[in-house]
Amino acid sequence: MAKGESPLKQFEIQPIVDINFLGFDISFTNSALWMTITTAFILIFFTVPFLKPKKTNSVSDLYPTRMQVAAELGFNFINSLLADTVGKEGKKYFPLVFTLFMFILFGNLFGMIPYSFTFTSHIIVTLALAMGVFIFVTVLGFVKHGVKFFSFFVIPGLPIYMLPLLIPIEIISYLSRPISLSVRLFANMLAGHTLLKVFAGFVSALGFFGILPLVFIIALTGLEILIAFLQAYVFAILTCLYINDALHLH
Amino acid sequence: MPQLEQVEFFISQLFWLGVFFVILFTVLTYITLPKIRAFLNQRDDFVKSHISKQDELIKKAESIIENYEAKLTEAKNQASQIINVAKDKALKESEDLIKATEEKIQHEIKQTEERVAKEKDTAISELNDQLKDSATNFLSKVTNIEKGNINL
Repeated sequence: MAKGESPLKQFEIQPIVDINFLGFDISFTNSALWMTITTAFILIFFTVPFLKPKKTNSVSDLYPTRMQVAAELGFNFINSLLADTVGKEGKKYFPLVFTLFMFILFGNLFGMIPYSFTFTSHIIVTLALAMGVFIFVTVLGFVKHGVKFFSFFVIPGLPIYMLPLLIPIEIISYLSRPISLSVRLFANMLAGHTLLKVFAGFVSALGFFGILPLVFIIALTGLEILIAFLQAYVFAILTCLYINDALHLH
Repeated sequence: MPQLEQVEFFISQLFWLGVFFVILFTVLTYITLPKIRAFLNQRDDFVKSHISKQDELIKKAESIIENYEAKLTEAKNQASQIINVAKDKALKESEDLIKATEEKIQHEIKQTEERVAKEKDTAISELNDQLKDSATNFLSKVTNIEKGNINL
């Protein structure tokens, strides 16, 4: 980072190829570039190890290669996550949760590469993902339960005189789901990357004693990698819980 | 904050997010995940089939062991039976032998006793005769009577 540059400059979107379609500016930007890299990486990482044609019908075909083990790890992780939160009916929604988790996870992780761009640090991106989940879950609830889906806002076992108070609260908490879901991811990424940049500024400013913030940055980078994973996990597990709510109501 | 200031790129971001998310979702759903699942299922099936095969083999081994043990006890029973029979037979034979020998000894003792009694009788009668003879001789010498006339 050059001296005097804002720590927020890393979040600036720079168009790479200007594209204008029907009056809309859909330029290919650095954000889109890192989405491309993330998508390509996920597809290669999970598809290529399993493209190997079967040689024989012997047992050795069943031994996974290293890459297959790595891919299986991600597969089984989301599989057990869905099984634990939703149960057997959750299998149908496995591709959605898997795609969301991997897209956010590798988006976050690639954002940790210096000079890269973290598309999950943009509220518009996380809000779009969260709104997508919200709309999907709501539609799913209505498809599964019809009008009965509104009973989701009525907590069972409550005295009737409490309902006028609690139903609005339930509705507000339901409607705020996409906001909390998107802001959580966005704010974590924003804060972590900004903090890293601010301390990186101290390294050059403090001269010899810059070694102290440098050490701090190294530790913070480790923490950020943890947060990158954690936030993707939180997003995925909340999606699972919302799906569970839509399927089973209370 | 560029996130909120660069509103002009919102549509571009949403557009590319949609494009890549749909690509990722479609390829994962229809190509990648079924491949991984098939691979895992294949392995699970293999493991399961081997586990059931193993169970079968264990059952087989258990039945063989059972069979073996049954045969072993049977053989043991037979052996003890044979031993008992042989023991009884040997005991009976030795008892018979002892009995026969005892009988033989009794018989011989009896025979010997009879012979001794007989010999005693003959010896006593002989001694009687001799005594008679000597007495007769003595009397005839003393009385001068012919031996033939003396009748004791």
